[in-house]
Amino acid sequence: MTTLTEAAAPVVAPLAKSPGYWAGVFRRFKTDKVAVGAGIVVLLIILMAIFADYIAPADPTRSSMLRRLRPIGTPGYPLGADELGRDMLSRLIFGARLSLFMGVVPVFIAFVFGSLIGVAAGFFGGKFNTITMRTVDVFYAFPSVLLAIALSGAMGAGIANSLLSLTIVFIPPIARIAESVTTQVRGMDYVEAARASGAGAGTIIRVHVLGNVLGPIFVYATSLISVSMILASGLSFLGLGTKPPTPEWGLMLNTLRTAIYVQPWVAALPGAAIFITSISFNLLSDGLRSAMDVKG
Amino acid sequence: MTGRRWFPRWSGPADHDARVTPRIWSDDGNPMLSYLAKRILYVLPVAFGVSLFCFLLVHIAPGDPLTAVLPPDASQAMQDELRKIYGFDRPLPIQFGLWLLKALQGDLGTSIATGRPVAAEVWRAVGNTLLIAVLATVIGFLLGSFFGFVAGYFRGSLLDKFASMLAVLGVSVPHYWLGMVMVIVFSVQLGWLPPGGAGPGGSAAWIWDWEHVSYMILPAITMSVIPMGIIARTVRALVADILNQEFVPALRAKGLMDFGVFKHVVKNAAPTALAVMGLQLGYLLGGSILIETVFSWPGTGFLLGNAIFQRDLPLLQGTILVLAMFFVGLNLLVDILQGLLDPRVRRR
Amino acid sequence: MAETPTLDERDRGGAGTPLLEARTLTKHFPLGGGAVVRAVDGVDFAVLKGETLGVVGESGCGKSTTARVVMQLIAQDKGEMLFDGEIVGGLSLSLKEYRRQAQMVFQDSYASLNPRLTIEDSIAFGPTVHGVSKQAAILRARDLLLRVGLDPARFAARYPHELSGGQRQRVNIARALALGPRLVILDEAVSALDKSVEAQVLNLLMDLRQEFGLTYIFISHDLNVVRFISDRVMVMYLGEVVEIGPVDELYDDPRHPYTRALLSAMPSMDPDNRTMEAPLAGDPPNPINPPEGCRFHPRCPQAQTVCAKVKPVLATAGEGARQVACHMEVAGSGHSRAPKLEEAA
Repeated sequence: MTTLTEAAAPVVAPLAKSPGYWAGVFRRFKTDKVAVGAGIVVLLIILMAIFADYIAPADPTRSSMLRRLRPIGTPGYPLGADELGRDMLSRLIFGARLSLFMGVVPVFIAFVFGSLIGVAAGFFGGKFNTITMRTVDVFYAFPSVLLAIALSGAMGAGIANSLLSLTIVFIPPIARIAESVTTQVRGMDYVEAARASGAGAGTIIRVHVLGNVLGPIFVYATSLISVSMILASGLSFLGLGTKPPTPEWGLMLNTLRTAIYVQPWVAALPGAAIFITSISFNLLSDGLRSAMDVKG
Repeated sequence: MTGRRWFPRWSGPADHDARVTPRIWSDDGNPMLSYLAKRILYVLPVAFGVSLFCFLLVHIAPGDPLTAVLPPDASQAMQDELRKIYGFDRPLPIQFGLWLLKALQGDLGTSIATGRPVAAEVWRAVGNTLLIAVLATVIGFLLGSFFGFVAGYFRGSLLDKFASMLAVLGVSVPHYWLGMVMVIVFSVQLGWLPPGGAGPGGSAAWIWDWEHVSYMILPAITMSVIPMGIIARTVRALVADILNQEFVPALRAKGLMDFGVFKHVVKNAAPTALAVMGLQLGYLLGGSILIETVFSWPGTGFLLGNAIFQRDLPLLQGTILVLAMFFVGLNLLVDILQGLLDPRVRRR
Repeated sequence: MAETPTLDERDRGGAGTPLLEARTLTKHFPLGGGAVVRAVDGVDFAVLKGETLGVVGESGCGKSTTARVVMQLIAQDKGEMLFDGEIVGGLSLSLKEYRRQAQMVFQDSYASLNPRLTIEDSIAFGPTVHGVSKQAAILRARDLLLRVGLDPARFAARYPHELSGGQRQRVNIARALALGPRLVILDEAVSALDKSVEAQVLNLLMDLRQEFGLTYIFISHDLNVVRFISDRVMVMYLGEVVEIGPVDELYDDPRHPYTRALLSAMPSMDPDNRTMEAPLAGDPPNPINPPEGCRFHPRCPQAQTVCAKVKPVLATAGEGARQVACHMEVAGSGHSRAPKLEEAA
């Protein structure tokens, strides 16, 4: 957005620049206590995942047949032990890595490709648009859970396959949003004015379309992160994602499922972790949306 | 334009609209019919694409689609034989055509695991899934509309905040986990309801008595959380929007009591809310997989879980095709109903 | 803008060649189902160098589509345009080169500025497209801001939403001028402004025309404004030109019944000059299925049988500077009010 001005700044006398759009967004976002709180939680979870090696009290894969299914509060096992006697707290901390990864990465890849497809379809319109959007509609005809499970189920278990299927699940909705926002922007007079000044499609998209379109698409994509996390954990829960003994919240939930009669609250912990992370991402995304939702 | 012919002076905004709007925007003939035709013409390619996708599912599976059916020590001759039987030796488009033709006649192939026709398995499971999906949608709709309505009507109040929070919780909660928590609380701890299955004697004989119904309660309530959040959000926005329109202060100014306003809001919000509910039912049909797994409910989700576990690709393919087609059909139905209820929709 | 070439430097065809000549410009929009909106239907006109051509007509008469076709934002279906004697998009005048010479100002001052770009970046965008360095373009943008009456120190680094409508429209004018065009199309450019601001912007436009040697196509539904700024006026009805001529002549003595009706619907300050003629009756007919013959005949008080059958062509009427498309102006057309054949001969 601001790169153009910044490029010119060294030569042409710089002027006191008005606070731009993003400064306003940030200012509005700061006043939203819920969103800021959610943002802090997300940040903490991310830090926890990055520094898991230093934070976790024990090796998340070291099992102990003697300490299977200990309750929360057991000395040395603050959050209990799982069905193989592994420290729950450590497994939850390490589990954040894969869960966050599966929440963010598919959405990010889908954001890149979905925006590409949607912006192109919206900008060029015509037959290209019709064909692209009809294809997108086909994928839209599947509820996202079904689509993810269908793809993963057909391709088989494994992280790479889950990643691929989740990416495929999220490309159509992002492409659809991108297309509709781009179609709107394309009809604006400033795009017509840019065409009238002789600019080519590439330049117009770069200077006039992307800056106005990526924000809304991005906000929409952030709202998909929690969906992606829940779906990825769900795939693991069905045995389609990670393989044991890797700590991953969905898989932990699956393997602990039979333990609900012995240590119900220990068994429920991984789900609580998914829940907290997903709700934080959702609240953060909501906050971003309302901070950006302003005419202009 | 149907509405209110019996009321002579004022024929309703719909009629008024039709007279003023230049005929550019409406086709010749019956607008409802042309709307119907347009919707159906739109759905056909989508349904075709969905079939193609389901057909290709078997082919994106790693390795030869035959490996699942073949004994590991199968001879080359046997492989070729089977390949011929399954039609895998022909070019893909022809395979697809034949498969589609069969599917249209209700033949979805044979389950590898059980050796029974896929269609029969799927139909039996679809009934069970529909049972709890409909129940969950109704519960979700009633609670969601209530919370959404209250939130929209008393915007900014504590009630509104509570309802909004509930909506966020509804979309953020991993529902399979919620199912587990429900089982922990109501089955393990309190012992009120059964933890899973479809009735005391398995799924064979379904009877509408408490014994059987008690098995539905936990899965249905768990499932209802998803549509509840979304419907609450939609209804809240709708109600807030309608209350912001100019005719509401006008109604109040005319001395209509709050009940009149309430009736008006309900009448205006209902079509959209119902449409959202219809779509949610479709999502639940496909989204029930994980919840059915948690509760061992013998529906399509359970079937899919088995298909995945046993790598029974024909079963997987058939189940997904049926569910997706249900979803497409439901979408069409919702569109048509909306067109009937709201003349503005038809002009789109 | 000392480097702004004067009219003479860039002139190719000489003073006698119109700056822009449109020949049977046609643009139809298919609606599906065989229906076609005849937005612009065989329009011929010329814009002379240095003049302002006003374009008036009811909404939906094709003014804006004409503007967009002239700007080549949409391609015409038929017809061609000559810019200073050269075919637009032809061998000697590429579309990109044409777009440097012709620019446009839109009605909605807000929608025509990218909300994410600062004012100077918006103005500088066009020149950079044509190879001007970023720094030079920014300097030119600031200079232009000064010329349109906005202090660059205050406005250059602002964003559109921080400006008033009048200020934004000044920015849009500066943006249009940034490429050093010879022709500027003003599509309802002042229509959305407050009356007082409108007057200021009109005066600015007059000054700029002088300063940069511009030629304007000024599209507006406001007849008073068109009279104020135009040298000649073109009246459009349902995608066709019905009358074109020098402004005072046309306003004082409208020849086409539609022009007369349009002008008589104009509020007058003079109590002695009140509207006597019946204002236009009925809605304008649909451009999808325009009437046969003269398109105005269903609403024309002087319509006769010939008007419903034969389409009148735009022809010179009276002293020569005026063209009218009406059977009453053509000798021997079959209309009872047409001049007698021997008189004309």
